Amino acid sequence: MPTRLQLHLAKVFLKIFLRDRQSIFFSLFFPIIFMTVFGFVNSGEVDPIELGIVNNSPSTVATDFAQMLIDNPLFTVTMGEETRLRTELVEGDQTMVLILPESFDAQSNGAELQLLVDAAQVQQLGLIMPLLEQTLISIEREFRNIEPMFTLTVEDVQARSQRYLDFLLPGLMAFTLMQLSIAGSGFNIVEYRRKGVLKRLFVTPIRPRDFITSIVLARMAIVLIQLTVLIAFAVLALDVNIVGNFASFYFIVMLGTFIFLCLGFCLGSIAKTQQAVMAVGNIVIFPQIFLSGVFYPIESMPELIQPIAKILPLSFVSTAMREIANNGASLIAIMPSLIGIAVWFIIGFILATRLFVWKEVAN
Amino acid sequence: MPIIDVKDLAKKYPLPDNKSEFFYAVDGISLSIEAGEIFGILGPNGAGKTTTLEMLEGLNDIDGGSAFIDGIDVAADPYKVKEIIGVQLQANEYFDNVSLVELLTLFAALYSCEVDAKELLAKVNLLDKAQAKPANLSGGQQQRFSIACALVNSPKVLFLDEPTTGLDPQAKHNLWDLVRELNSAGMTIVLTTHNMEEAESLCQRIAIMDHGKLVAEDTPQNLILKHAPEPPKAPLHGNIEDVFLALTGHGLRD
Repeated sequence: MPTRLQLHLAKVFLKIFLRDRQSIFFSLFFPIIFMTVFGFVNSGEVDPIELGIVNNSPSTVATDFAQMLIDNPLFTVTMGEETRLRTELVEGDQTMVLILPESFDAQSNGAELQLLVDAAQVQQLGLIMPLLEQTLISIEREFRNIEPMFTLTVEDVQARSQRYLDFLLPGLMAFTLMQLSIAGSGFNIVEYRRKGVLKRLFVTPIRPRDFITSIVLARMAIVLIQLTVLIAFAVLALDVNIVGNFASFYFIVMLGTFIFLCLGFCLGSIAKTQQAVMAVGNIVIFPQIFLSGVFYPIESMPELIQPIAKILPLSFVSTAMREIANNGASLIAIMPSLIGIAVWFIIGFILATRLFVWKEVAN
Repeated sequence: MPIIDVKDLAKKYPLPDNKSEFFYAVDGISLSIEAGEIFGILGPNGAGKTTTLEMLEGLNDIDGGSAFIDGIDVAADPYKVKEIIGVQLQANEYFDNVSLVELLTLFAALYSCEVDAKELLAKVNLLDKAQAKPANLSGGQQQRFSIACALVNSPKVLFLDEPTTGLDPQAKHNLWDLVRELNSAGMTIVLTTHNMEEAESLCQRIAIMDHGKLVAEDTPQNLILKHAPEPPKAPLHGNIEDVFLALTGHGLRD
């Protein structure tokens, strides 16, 4: 727990930091634009698949079959000649081309439909194949007058629809808190050193532990204000759902902020110039953007990378925040992430206090 | 017993073009400064004045010898020393956009003590600037403010590193008055300077350094008697500073 001295110092530093309203305001700019863009880009459903149909059969069954596909919102259907559609497929105007053979009619027994694809382009083949087959089966049933033995009714048990933005927001929050925290401590420290402020502070009997804790607490208050603005914007303007408990969510936010402020302190102690701290900062920030499940789940990454990705500090924080925000998980339910966060919490603080040597950073 | 007791103090740095060799920036200095003194350290640039001060202030490692302030070993207990000293550095920078009162509150917090910021500003004649930012102060006001910052912990010893460099004569005299006032209240003051008049009229004792060594140490009077050449037969009519002050007056310009 922070001592009275640390709290008092934190209060004084907070007042000082709040003076810099411009940077507090403008650092919110980027995440807000980011969220808005993602909110609009991903608001729609999946793009329909361009499907070309070559109907070589004169039967009504074939026409009906084609009509069923045309009516399916998953496909945008073009009917046409095989040669023309083949060229369009090669050129990329069609995603796939379905050829109905001449023998496709009510009497058909195992007529073979041909599906032309550009395998390099179609990752969703596994999704489309069952769909086509299912359409075929329902046509078959209709013509043979067979009642289906089973029907499947889908009921959405989730209380609300989950858009990509809902998935993205907690990760984006985690990412933003990392950015704001590392910039808030690391870049500041280098700036203070350059200006000679640190040297002046070093003349006073303040201990690194007290100095770091109070700066971290003050910065944490500012980052919390910034994130609150972002969350309010996401919920009110972009209609993002946060299912879980806000107190738990903020608890994780505070722990995460502490970790990244400490890591920022480490950067500020190692890097001697503003350029160096930017470069070193990017080494820390960039891999985490891509590996920490901010934009897509860690599970969708290559198996080899997953173990490394999972132990990054941002992974623990973003996973915990997402579990709470999207699934309403309790703190107990996200214990593995919490343990990871706790470990990074300790590592961050020890590293920050070890690396921040007054004599080294002040001169 | 002297309040500052320095024996064979040394500081070595690696040579810029040959890192395995060293040179001594401070080369075996011994000083003893009595409580209540204004002690001046003179010397050309690079003589080791600032390095000596920085070692006493705990800013720089002591590579040889020993330094005690008020009986506390500086090398062994730098944090304890910092609690009883006040320091004005050569360059003084503070946080942006923070007023004088807020900065003094911050420094008091760093010393874990309470301070009446207004009273302290009044002491250095800056009460009307209480809400101003340091960047908007004149040179003399900035120096007085940095002394105010050095006073928040009511130090026993005050270190001033070239406090009057760059000040106009009015601001300089005003600062000397402030130093005398603090000293008459019992504070020991150690300062470095390039200004001979400052050394002569303000300091009760002077040490002259060159090449990291102490070349002389005594009262200004004794040093003049010992080392100054015979005065010229026809005395000069004062100096240019007397002319400057006679023409522009003693009033403080801030």
